Amino acid sequence: MSVTTNTIALDIRRLSRVIPRNRNIELALLAFAFGINAYELAQIQLSTIQIYNADILTYWLPITLGALAIHLVLRWRASEADALMLPAVVLLNGLGIAEIYRLDLARLANHSTDLFAGKQIVWSCVAMAAAIAVIVFVPTHLFLRRYVYISMFIGLALLISPMLPVIGKTINGAHLWLAIGSLTFQPGELAKIALTVFFAGYLVTRRDSLAVVGRRFLGVQLPRARELGPILAIWAISLLVLVGERDLGTSLLYFGLFLVMIYVATGRPIYVVVGLGLFLTSAVVAARLMTYVSGRVDAWLNPFDSAHYDAIGGSYQLVQGIFGLAHGSVLGSGLGGGVPQLVPLAESDFIIASLGEELGLVGMFAILAIYLLIIARGARIAFQHSDDFSKLLAIGLSFVIALQSFIVIGGVTRVVPLTGLTTPFLAAGGSSLLANWIIVGLLLRISNTSGTHVEVEE
Amino acid sequence: MSDLALYIVRIAFLVVLWIFIFSIISVIRADLFGQKVVSRVTRANAPTKVSSPVLPTAPAPIVSTLPSEAGGVTASRLEITQGERKGTSIRLDRREITIGRAENSDLVINDEYASTHHAKLVLINNEWMLQDLNSTNGTFVDDNRVGTPIVVKIGTPIRIGKTAFELRA
Repeated sequence: MSVTTNTIALDIRRLSRVIPRNRNIELALLAFAFGINAYELAQIQLSTIQIYNADILTYWLPITLGALAIHLVLRWRASEADALMLPAVVLLNGLGIAEIYRLDLARLANHSTDLFAGKQIVWSCVAMAAAIAVIVFVPTHLFLRRYVYISMFIGLALLISPMLPVIGKTINGAHLWLAIGSLTFQPGELAKIALTVFFAGYLVTRRDSLAVVGRRFLGVQLPRARELGPILAIWAISLLVLVGERDLGTSLLYFGLFLVMIYVATGRPIYVVVGLGLFLTSAVVAARLMTYVSGRVDAWLNPFDSAHYDAIGGSYQLVQGIFGLAHGSVLGSGLGGGVPQLVPLAESDFIIASLGEELGLVGMFAILAIYLLIIARGARIAFQHSDDFSKLLAIGLSFVIALQSFIVIGGVTRVVPLTGLTTPFLAAGGSSLLANWIIVGLLLRISNTSGTHVEVEE
Repeated sequence: MSDLALYIVRIAFLVVLWIFIFSIISVIRADLFGQKVVSRVTRANAPTKVSSPVLPTAPAPIVSTLPSEAGGVTASRLEITQGERKGTSIRLDRREITIGRAENSDLVINDEYASTHHAKLVLINNEWMLQDLNSTNGTFVDDNRVGTPIVVKIGTPIRIGKTAFELRA
């Protein structure tokens, strides 16, 4: 009975593959997202330069074609992949481009020639091509499991490379960039993918020993002392990043990612408690010893204090962002209607403040809801899988997006100290776009194998 | 361009943005509110959501043995009385209901004490038989551990781990 049931179930699966319902939903939602992206550009032209010109097509067509290309590749290679991830990401990417274009128009009005929207378009296309390459050339994500230790080395090398003398470059006090000629790149963005693959592979092999309960102390089941080794190692590396690259956000991102993955792998909150304790202690010590960290913390606690407001690298930017958000109020000034260009780095680190000003609280919540949906889909993809490596990989990849969004948006809105991470998919910056689109490609690839994998096993 | 028109364009954009979000949410509604277990409130509106990859495999032979003609004696649904999904119910519209942690079970129990394929309910001669599938922590009917398959009457509590449920007419 059960054998015939399974073969019939497989037949139905094959049949449903002929009619990819997911892909049709995706196409409909993509069309919706393309429409919204065009609306944004038209609204910006309407309220700033009052005429329509070909710029709309220049900034709309490339990512529309890119998204359609990904859609067709999914139909061809991964027809059962998740249907909602791509439209949501395309909407964010388009919204980012529109806002950057809007800031460019403000710059042109000031006779500045330092424009970003064109670069963002080019990088979006490169990033989408990378996502397509992932979908086409990664046969199944399980193949990544063979390269667990290689990804560890790649990840660490990328993470440490900006600290090297010749190729490392310092921008705004943080040593996060690699410079080759005039091209700058943030290798840390790609390192997060490599390290997620490594954490997933490592935790799958070690989860049993990590879950072993050691002695009981004060009513808490402590893990065995030697199992704390890896946590200490990752903690040391994130400290090295904090000291060597002078960037609190990156350091917090990698350490938080590791804590979440170890928690998901073992189901033991004690690791999160110990890890957060370690991190907070070291952050407090760093705040005492390093002026860079203490400056950020002071600017966060007392941004309106004139001593911090006027200081170089003080809270000026943060306060301008908050004024912008306040100006936007509930409904926003409308795209093209505000003055987000007053905030330094409005197109990259503070894009969320620019969007918050022009779309208001209602629009800000919409953006957060889209992030939430993307992350929820990632978690859903993880739950669908029966094997631990896929679960951990999918959870880790979606949590990278979650944690990064939290650190940046929390920084701009003064929930946590401001750090120099990029807002995924929105902010101007090639490395960030590339890394996040690769994550989307991987999640889509993982989601495709989910249904069939279970069936093969039984 | 008049201010009024700009204002309309601006508000319309926010509306469109939220319509986009809600159209995504409507697609994943099944995920958010559970796939196979249909809650009492939405049951009337969404009967077709009771679907699983296994469901269409043998619908034809079931029809003749559907419990409907048994004069109200046979159970028509299974209601969860304790545990995470308390208050939800499943329609007993097929011959076999699988219970366990496995994703493709008809009743998924997310509980450390449940096994992957924990137990199943089988309709035989218009009576639901409960069979424990050699689970680690056992299935309990009236607080007695189930050994050989037994007939379950309407209203008798069945317990697996922290979840308890019973058949209802």
